[in-house]
Amino acid sequence: MSDIVNNSKSSLVWGRIGKIVSYVVFVSWTLITIVPLIWMSYSSLKSNEELTRDIYAFPYELFDNMDDEYTVIRPDLNTIRDYDPKVDKRERICIESNTIAPGRRLMVFFLVKEDMPPEIQNLKIGDTVTVRDLPGSIRRYINRKTMRFNYESAFIRGGLTGKFANSIIYASVSTFLIILLGSMTAFAISKMQFARLSRVLMIVYGLGYLISIPSLIIPLFLMMTKVGLIDTHLGLILVYVAFGMPLAVLLSSQFMQGLPSSLVESAYIDGASVFRTFWSIILPMTTPVIITISILSALGIWNEFLLVLVLASSEFTKSLPVGVYSFSSLTGTQLGWQLAALVIATLPAMIVYFTFNQRLTNGVVAGAVKE
Amino acid sequence: MKQRDRKALVFYIGMVAPGLAIYLSIVAYPVFYSVWLSFTDFNPNAGGVGNFMGFFHYKAMLENPEFWHSLKNNMIVVAVSVFGQIPIGFILAYILYRKMVRAEKFFQSMVFLPQFLSTIVIGILWKRLFVADGPVSTIMQLATGDPSAQFDLMLRPETVMIPIGIALIWMYTGFYMVIFLANLQKMNVNMIEAAKIDGATEPQIFGRIILPLLTGTIIVSSVLAIAGSLKGFDLIFAMTTQGLQRDNASVLPIYMYETAFRDYSNPMRFAYGAAISNAIVAISIVMIGISNWIGKHMSQDEVY
Repeated sequence: MSDIVNNSKSSLVWGRIGKIVSYVVFVSWTLITIVPLIWMSYSSLKSNEELTRDIYAFPYELFDNMDDEYTVIRPDLNTIRDYDPKVDKRERICIESNTIAPGRRLMVFFLVKEDMPPEIQNLKIGDTVTVRDLPGSIRRYINRKTMRFNYESAFIRGGLTGKFANSIIYASVSTFLIILLGSMTAFAISKMQFARLSRVLMIVYGLGYLISIPSLIIPLFLMMTKVGLIDTHLGLILVYVAFGMPLAVLLSSQFMQGLPSSLVESAYIDGASVFRTFWSIILPMTTPVIITISILSALGIWNEFLLVLVLASSEFTKSLPVGVYSFSSLTGTQLGWQLAALVIATLPAMIVYFTFNQRLTNGVVAGAVKE
Repeated sequence: MKQRDRKALVFYIGMVAPGLAIYLSIVAYPVFYSVWLSFTDFNPNAGGVGNFMGFFHYKAMLENPEFWHSLKNNMIVVAVSVFGQIPIGFILAYILYRKMVRAEKFFQSMVFLPQFLSTIVIGILWKRLFVADGPVSTIMQLATGDPSAQFDLMLRPETVMIPIGIALIWMYTGFYMVIFLANLQKMNVNMIEAAKIDGATEPQIFGRIILPLLTGTIIVSSVLAIAGSLKGFDLIFAMTTQGLQRDNASVLPIYMYETAFRDYSNPMRFAYGAAISNAIVAISIVMIGISNWIGKHMSQDEVY
């Protein structure tokens, strides 16, 4: 009797220790995951000077910018103007920030002289002015520009606008084709006769699991060069579709096998064609697994790096990961821009992840166990 | 009847053909192309004709110290996955399964998250974390009280794989955790309850009931870990700076990439690169075979 009591007492102690250890492990793991991401997010709203001064402090300068000093400068040829000097001939005063990248012509504004009050009109080169002294509309404009400084620079100077669009094109078009072709194949495999042919197909697609883009990157590069699809959107999309097929076929045929065959048979009796049966009866019922496959493929393509690195040589076809990578090695000194670029590349993926968390988890498990 | 069959076959092919055509020409054909390429003197600047060279490139590869260096690093990555990610993932899954922490859904999604973020972004972030004047160095300075303490493991060739291993564990453990958790949840609860009533302790339940039931999952995970580690490119590529540091941390896919797409002095760089990537595939098949064999023997031991 006392033995049992002792036993349960010691197991109670062990249980408590186990609980504490468990919490320590999970909480610290969560912190390691989340702290760099939070740091990255708020630091992307800091100016470069602020980052060098204190890399951990919260952003301040870009928001509290009313007392920022600006110097009147002579505009250089390479200064990016926010108006077209060929069309707009009005006289302007060019001012540059003294706090954000001073002397580097990155934070420059052109004030239309005739809209300014006389004390500003009379400023000469080398004079300084604070944002507070400028007229209201300009003040608000500079205020907004300052807050978005890193993000605008990343999008415009890093060319991330086009790369963002490319990433969306690759992820959406490829995913659409993967779903369409994958579910057509799965329908044939699971709901049409010819069992032997279907088994062969399953083996062929199953083997595709063992093959990855890195192991075929050289022949892919040479082939795409030969057929002229190198550095084109189509070439990249075709590769993504081909490598997305195995998972799509395996997951959706597994799901379709669970749907009653009588559905298909009665549709045939009613005179529906094969494609019609697939399109209006089976496909709508497959929606849950289609969503799972879509998210898995789209996220995979969104984050894919090596294929774009090798196949896309022009800015016109590059996607975000490659853009962010080359941007980060080019702008080693502009940490604020880099961090903004990292946020641009991660935020969409994080939103999708947290929205479809449970589906994603189930899909990954189903894909792995099937192998 | 016969005609109906033929018509059905036409429809079947119609449904299957578009996908299969893309798949075969982009996944299947290059496999053979790659094998052919590695046995030739294919030179992209000489018109692309390939004469048969036998095992020339494979021999050159085996004689190249860079290959062995990359292979060694790659084996470290495999070891980190199989003996790091899998056991840790298993332990985390077990903690969640036995409900030893609250908010398990939250913790699960936090550990699983890195999977779905861009490897490049993560690589750049970890690189920032580990630079000599970065946050990790600051923490070391605070902890040791020595203001000159620096995190220099990324800079020394003999230790560069340690921080990379840490990043790899952080990134991929969540995947195995989720797989193990799903399989744990499929298990028969009654068996554990019965064992508890019989007075089995927590370690006994773990060692005698849960572990043996999961042998299959462990084998599947190992296969995935080996295959994944041997093709891993992005993370190490992004965590290291081009040049000496990347060479120090080179793994086979990086060696292959640098050979085929960077080493312009070698006219047969594509053929040589193809030999390396074929070697990667061969190594992963052999290692997967070994892990399957070990798994089979382990589960046989349990039956008797």
